[in-house]
Amino acid sequence: MTQPILRFDEPTSQADNPKTTPHLLPCRVHHDGPVEPVESFWDPKPSPDGTASTAYFRGRKLCGKSIKLPEGYRGVVAVRTPEAPIDASAAEVIDLEVAESDGGMPAAQGSLQVQAGFDEMMIWGHDVAVDSADAGGGATDPYLRAVGEWLAVSERIHSYATPDAEPGAK
Amino acid sequence: MARTRSGKGASAKGQGDEKSNAATSSSSSSSVYTLSETSNPPKLFILPKTASPAARIITLQHPRCNRPARFLVCPKAGFFEFTAITPPKSAPRSWLLSPVSPADTNASGDAKQPAQITQSPALYLATPYDPLFLLLPALFASDAQSSSSSETKSKKRMFLSLDDHLDAVPVPSDPSSDSPNESSNHLAALLTTSPTLRRLAESRLRAVCDVVRAGDEDMFRVNEAKLLGELLGKARRMIGADGEDEQQGEKKRRLPASMEERFVRRALEAPVLGVKIARGGTSTTTMEEGSGSGAATPLSGGGDSQASDSSVETVMSAESVATSVSAVTAATSVAPEDENVISAITASDEVVSLQRLRVAFDFILSSCVPPSVAELLRAELTKGTASEAVDFTPLDDYLTRLTKLRQEAAAARSADFSRKREADEEADERAEKKRKKEAEEKAKKQNMSRGVKNLMKVDTKGMKKMSDFFKPKGA
Repeated sequence: MTQPILRFDEPTSQADNPKTTPHLLPCRVHHDGPVEPVESFWDPKPSPDGTASTAYFRGRKLCGKSIKLPEGYRGVVAVRTPEAPIDASAAEVIDLEVAESDGGMPAAQGSLQVQAGFDEMMIWGHDVAVDSADAGGGATDPYLRAVGEWLAVSERIHSYATPDAEPGAK
Repeated sequence: MARTRSGKGASAKGQGDEKSNAATSSSSSSSVYTLSETSNPPKLFILPKTASPAARIITLQHPRCNRPARFLVCPKAGFFEFTAITPPKSAPRSWLLSPVSPADTNASGDAKQPAQITQSPALYLATPYDPLFLLLPALFASDAQSSSSSETKSKKRMFLSLDDHLDAVPVPSDPSSDSPNESSNHLAALLTTSPTLRRLAESRLRAVCDVVRAGDEDMFRVNEAKLLGELLGKARRMIGADGEDEQQGEKKRRLPASMEERFVRRALEAPVLGVKIARGGTSTTTMEEGSGSGAATPLSGGGDSQASDSSVETVMSAESVATSVSAVTAATSVAPEDENVISAITASDEVVSLQRLRVAFDFILSSCVPPSVAELLRAELTKGTASEAVDFTPLDDYLTRLTKLRQEAAAARSADFSRKREADEEADERAEKKRKKEAEEKAKKQNMSRGVKNLMKVDTKGMKKMSDFFKPKGA
């Protein structure tokens, strides 16, 4: 059950690395794969003040909130390259335990093909936008909390003095 | 072939097939889209920009939960742990990946990525990870083997080179495979290929170990005091209490809001009755200064006459709500309690920061450090032999006082509840009795015969009573 060492295969040219916007829908869609033409059912409209967007999905009103990724981070949509064993079970696994079916190939080198990049995400909620971190309560949405809080905290916990630089490496 | 649905007879079968096929094909071209499903859906990652193309995703035994976990290791940027964010089952989510926006897609034209749905809502965050934690299990590996007391343990620990320590790093092993150690030790494999990573690992070891130079190789042995100091430093950094400008730092970087709320503010919150009054009175002041300093218990402006007035009002309302005598005494006993909270507030900044430190330290221990080592470190912390040891006694004092207050408050409240229930029970009893009486009467009426019922309607006025006929003659 040894898992391969993976690397990210990034397209070299900028043209091959299109930007995308991940929309986190407040529902589960039992489908994996392309859904073109998307314009026929997904047409989010930004609100005049630009803080929230509205979209109608199957007759339901959704309110979206945009999250910018923190400084120093970028989003990547990547897919396991086909030559690696395909894992059907990884859809709901919590850890990154990809390729569980990978027998007898110790320390194999696999790769993740980067399809697109993103630097903001939209999180959609039914009728109202997901709550943001305010009034000391903290965000209840796991995605907001993870991106807003956990990245910063883990940066602080795990910062250490690098061999070259002095302590306080941010 | 399988398309025939109507029983047209064997002769017309071929025709029917053609017809239905034609029908489906025409309809699909007009309004029905077939979606090709992929069995290998893309995943969403958030990666550090500093990670170079040389970065690799490796599988290592997570030091805490002892299960294989994925790490991103980059020779330049260091170690990153993948955290999967998945919402609870109660909140179903899915990703819809759509091209950025209509305007942009028009501009970039053919490079457009088709929109797609990913059913799994997981988002993988690469968060920085200190390689020290990965090496910790190895540093304490000799402890696990020898199950003697802790005193002898520390003496048994040997000075070992980095490579020897690496050999002791637990490997995500598979019970079914015959050669678990062969080449699945991703960490060792990477460190041998990358000198920068190796230097990094050595420097991390140096921070927590006693070092002896043997030949041209450094030998490391873990030093608990050093490790404790390192971890406390991390905890301080987490709550933003390190560095020279402590006041500023504390305001700028505290614990994340949700942790602050859950573990600091609520943990230090005084009983509801007492706090509510103080908060209602001083809401203005806490807004202004309390939010900045993040005091867990609301500051009470003692001299502020307006505040004290409104707090009296709330006490009055509490009294009016509670009807019985003992409730009033409970409400009046709030005053000393409230005072108690206020007096605790003089030390509150210290207490709060101590609580924060403890929360941060516990969090680090419970998320990154093997349980056995965490125990050891906690013992070390309470022993207080380390130079960086923190005196938690003010916090402990405050907490014991707080638990006492909470118990009192709970007792008062439970007394209230029982009183209320008593009243309820009385009313219930009365209602029950009434109901019984009514039922009895009804039953009586039903048992009477029709003749008797009719006789009851007879006007007996002016008639002699029955008893008159049965009187003794003499009287």
